[in-house]
Amino acid sequence: MHAPIAKVLLVAAVAVVFAAFCVTDLVRGAPPRHLPRWAWVLIICVWIPWGGLGYLFFGRAGRPGASPETLAPVPAAMAAAPPTIVPPTIVPPTTRAPASIELDGLTKRYGRVIALDGLSVTIRPGAVTGFLGPNGAGKTTTMRLILGLDIPSAGTALVGGHRYQEIFRPLHEVGSLLDATAVDRGRTAWFHLLALARSNGISQRRVREVLELTGLETVANRRAGEFSLGMKQRLGIAAALLGDPGVLMLDEPVNGLDAEGVRWIRQLLASLAAEGRTVLVSSHLMSEMAMIADHLIIIGRGRLLADTPAADFVAGARRDVLVKSPGASELATLLMARGATVRPDGDGVAVAGLDAPDIGDLALAHGIAIHELVPRHASLEDAYLDLTSDSTDYHAKALPAGKATVP
Amino acid sequence: MTAPDVSVVRRFSARSLDAAAFEWTKLRSARSNRWTLLISVLATLAITAVVAETSASAPAGRHQALDPLASSFLGFAEYAVLPVTVLGVLVFTSEYGSGLIRTTFAAVPRKRAVLAAKACVAGLAALTVGELLAFACFFLTQAILSRRHGGLSVTQPGVARAVLAAGLVLAACAVAGVAAGAIIRHTAGAIGAAITMVYLLAALCLLLPAPWGTRLGKFTMPFAAYQLVSRHGQAGLLSPALSLLVLLAWPAVGLLAAAIVLTRRDV
Repeated sequence: MHAPIAKVLLVAAVAVVFAAFCVTDLVRGAPPRHLPRWAWVLIICVWIPWGGLGYLFFGRAGRPGASPETLAPVPAAMAAAPPTIVPPTIVPPTTRAPASIELDGLTKRYGRVIALDGLSVTIRPGAVTGFLGPNGAGKTTTMRLILGLDIPSAGTALVGGHRYQEIFRPLHEVGSLLDATAVDRGRTAWFHLLALARSNGISQRRVREVLELTGLETVANRRAGEFSLGMKQRLGIAAALLGDPGVLMLDEPVNGLDAEGVRWIRQLLASLAAEGRTVLVSSHLMSEMAMIADHLIIIGRGRLLADTPAADFVAGARRDVLVKSPGASELATLLMARGATVRPDGDGVAVAGLDAPDIGDLALAHGIAIHELVPRHASLEDAYLDLTSDSTDYHAKALPAGKATVP
Repeated sequence: MTAPDVSVVRRFSARSLDAAAFEWTKLRSARSNRWTLLISVLATLAITAVVAETSASAPAGRHQALDPLASSFLGFAEYAVLPVTVLGVLVFTSEYGSGLIRTTFAAVPRKRAVLAAKACVAGLAALTVGELLAFACFFLTQAILSRRHGGLSVTQPGVARAVLAAGLVLAACAVAGVAAGAIIRHTAGAIGAAITMVYLLAALCLLLPAPWGTRLGKFTMPFAAYQLVSRHGQAGLLSPALSLLVLLAWPAVGLLAAAIVLTRRDV
């Protein structure tokens, strides 16, 4: 009867050691997920060994002492990484036919909600195209449809003339970043990228290249769950660049990046576009896009609002002159005779269609006194808000040049 | 990379191998998988030893009730099947939970290829672990039993088949878990469904009135597994060959349903 007791003791010892390991890990580590510490201790001790396993699976919050708060040195280290991009490392000299993204009547309904309503637009190579719209405008839906993740209710989305699902080893054609936080918390950056590389026959050397390119090589062996949002964005961009694709699609890539990171992205995207790639970057913030994009596609409620070069969008934005004059009504008649648009604005008039010097000269010529003459430029942000806040009346393809001057 | 001279067959095989390498890399690099497997292997061996010890030290009369072959796998059924099923479930649900599934489908847009790769990788991993563990459990049990009542030898008729089948049970459970995860997408719900498939249906059948318990129960996975791993089988249940079919039919039907659902649904 001695042998069975010894065996039972052995089993009990193993189980207790495991439970002790789990409890130690729990006590030394960051606060666990889902339940407070004491609850996990109770579960681990009562339900040996499943409690411990359950903790390792669902409750463990990362390595001991590696809570997000204690990660401060890492972003500093990343800031130290050279933010300037050396374009030649990105591209081995391959001959690449420029591939554009063509959307034709793309429509997506979720039940009775229309997320995307007949979007037809072509995103061309060689420029950074900003994809703008308020939250819920359908930007992410569009990208999902392009990637074949969702099935369109109507219309087509083609990349380089093919449906995404038909492309062999698609990471070589299209690199995408939809959600930077969508990483397995328990997997290291290296294995995250390596797995993706394997899925499309990409070499380990290339994985090291993109890690270097995004400044992540020093943290490659850390688990992605410990990364800050900015580091996850870099990891997502590294994944998008893995296949050296001719088309890049990034959904809100500057979210969570500091000023340094935004500059890094801007330079990276500009150099990628300069190499003849198609770069589509979405954002709901015009101020971000103003710094990044060459071309703007603006959508609202699933419809196209504008498809225009960024420079034209600024030029076409509301621009007028505020005039305050005791002879305003007389002056207004003269101005309208010259083809300007005049509308009252506070205790003065807003004049569009004539420059301030012309207005001043005209007033002088007719002996009208002028008290104030203020040229006003709408910012890109204002122009964008003018366009998208007009939620009751969407004019597809109405360019701001014709639209914004009419109040 | 998209040279037009690549034939359809070569593309298909390249795509399949890519997807399998993708899934294998993810499986082996996930934090919890190695731990779960290691702990469940140790726990299984420990429980198996305890069961064998109890059975060896029992009085001769009671010993007759236990099939010395099937008793090798009591710990196995208890402590290996559950974690492996859960691992199978997590292959899909962990990706749905984190959103990584979109990255996966962007890298491999053929959803059925992803499903097949996940099922193959999880199934083969479970099969490898299962076979090793089944043989370990068998030899451990027989070594302990042989001290008092004389254990079985692996060369005796029906024994090798039973031990091999025990490993296969684990693979079937893992694949059933993968299918449940693909269809249900949420970890808790999918684990519930998978556990129902691999355990609870049989338990429910046992609650039915007399003839119906085995009439229906023989078509569930645990009954089929028992027929495969016991030496003589139990009267009124299916033959080992049919039991094997039943054991494989559950995950196969699950995968079929998952393939249909995956291709018709948005990610």
